[in-house]
Amino acid sequence: MNTLQPLLPQGAELIRPPTRTKVFGSLSLAFGVTLLPWLEDIRWLVPDFTLMALLYWNIHAPRLTGLGAAFVFGLLTDVARGVFFGLNALVYCAATFVALLVHRRLEGFSIPHQALQISPILLGKELLLLTLGLALGRGTVDWRWLAAGLVAVLLWPPMAWLFDRATGRTRSSATAMQQTSR
Amino acid sequence: MPHTPHAPLFVREMGLPLRFGLYAFFCLLLLVLDARYATLAGVRAGLNALIHPVHIALAQPLDWMQGISRFLVKHAELARDNRHFIQRQELLDAGMRDRATLLAENTRLRALLALPPRPGFTLLAGEVIETTPDPFARRIIINRGQSHGVSAGLPVVDATGLVGQVTRVYPWSAEVTLLTDRDQAAPVLNLRNGLRIIVSGQGSDTLLEVRFLDMHADLRPGDLLYTSGIDGIYPAGVPVARVLNTEPPRNTPFARAICQPLGGVGQYRHMAVLVPTAVPTPTEKNGAAPSPHVAGSKRP
Repeated sequence: MNTLQPLLPQGAELIRPPTRTKVFGSLSLAFGVTLLPWLEDIRWLVPDFTLMALLYWNIHAPRLTGLGAAFVFGLLTDVARGVFFGLNALVYCAATFVALLVHRRLEGFSIPHQALQISPILLGKELLLLTLGLALGRGTVDWRWLAAGLVAVLLWPPMAWLFDRATGRTRSSATAMQQTSR
Repeated sequence: MPHTPHAPLFVREMGLPLRFGLYAFFCLLLLVLDARYATLAGVRAGLNALIHPVHIALAQPLDWMQGISRFLVKHAELARDNRHFIQRQELLDAGMRDRATLLAENTRLRALLALPPRPGFTLLAGEVIETTPDPFARRIIINRGQSHGVSAGLPVVDATGLVGQVTRVYPWSAEVTLLTDRDQAAPVLNLRNGLRIIVSGQGSDTLLEVRFLDMHADLRPGDLLYTSGIDGIYPAGVPVARVLNTEPPRNTPFARAICQPLGGVGQYRHMAVLVPTAVPTPTEKNGAAPSPHVAGSKRP
């Protein structure tokens, strides 16, 4: 049991809780960002925004998302990227599974700590995608593409901050309140 | 206050590992169905029809910005370009007149040799919408699809040579696998001596290779390779590559040659799909043949 956090949402979080509209709206938005016409030269640096949004919601609102959403957005990504059906869906489901296993622990961290804790998932996703491509006999691997995972880790803090604003989460004050009441 | 689902009082759903296992199994099933049996083309086209408008809408602001910057070019620049284009037009007109006479002569010669007429191709110009972000494949999406008459397997060219082949068709767009893709191959002949070989992609952006070259084959750096047309997919005589160097066999009984594509593979925004025009050929007598070209050449 996480003792650092109050059992019930407090203050702003109570007024603006994460809703289904917010969750799926932001997921669609993140998916849209990956569809933008990125420059060919920086393509390999573009992080997977869809997965980042999925992970955020699986950590902070696991009841609203889950494996089903990961599967659906994975299939959409497969179509958008023109790869085999189920490739990204499988990878997204695996990442979501890991995130759901440890979401109680990840929930309480401050944003930079959370970015560190979540980096194995973000990096592991890119590694898994490349390895699966290799296993399916799609040729030689361009290991540069692992860098997208690093960029995703670096972009986690601003994204988490934005999403926190949308749902009224206040991490530092929640922790502080708990500490003063002790 | 918006509705949020509450935690269930009693947990009566499958455990997380079991649910993940089911999803993973389903994903693997889809992977096998798609990779081995290619049965999901319809589903893919349907989902693509959903995503395509979003794609176009997202690319629109960039197009507008480019449009504005184009609008603001200087008058002198336009006048200079205009002069240049008029000269060029005259040159091209002269070239076209030559071409017309050559075509007429060619038909006469073909008739003389009693060869079946080669099916004509019409050029369907298209624009690259995007490149697919896939580290393993060299592919692009063009804005011409099924509704424009594109079908899978058609060759794609640009002004300087062969670019690739249409591999997937969606309602309003199509996926073109570039010549440089590792799994892509084109039958060519050496213009100098008529040697027939197969050029395939390497997975790098700028180079092609001839993988299994006979070690005594007469292929030298600088040789030009044009499509031979014997596969029934690519028309004959499209420039493909220039040989850069040949490597003697090492550990294998085959030599290898590195070539440079002549077409602007992955460079330009515009390219053309070669759509065969329905030409009445002798194939109709022969019954169902995969391609009029192949069937025609088999005829005694």
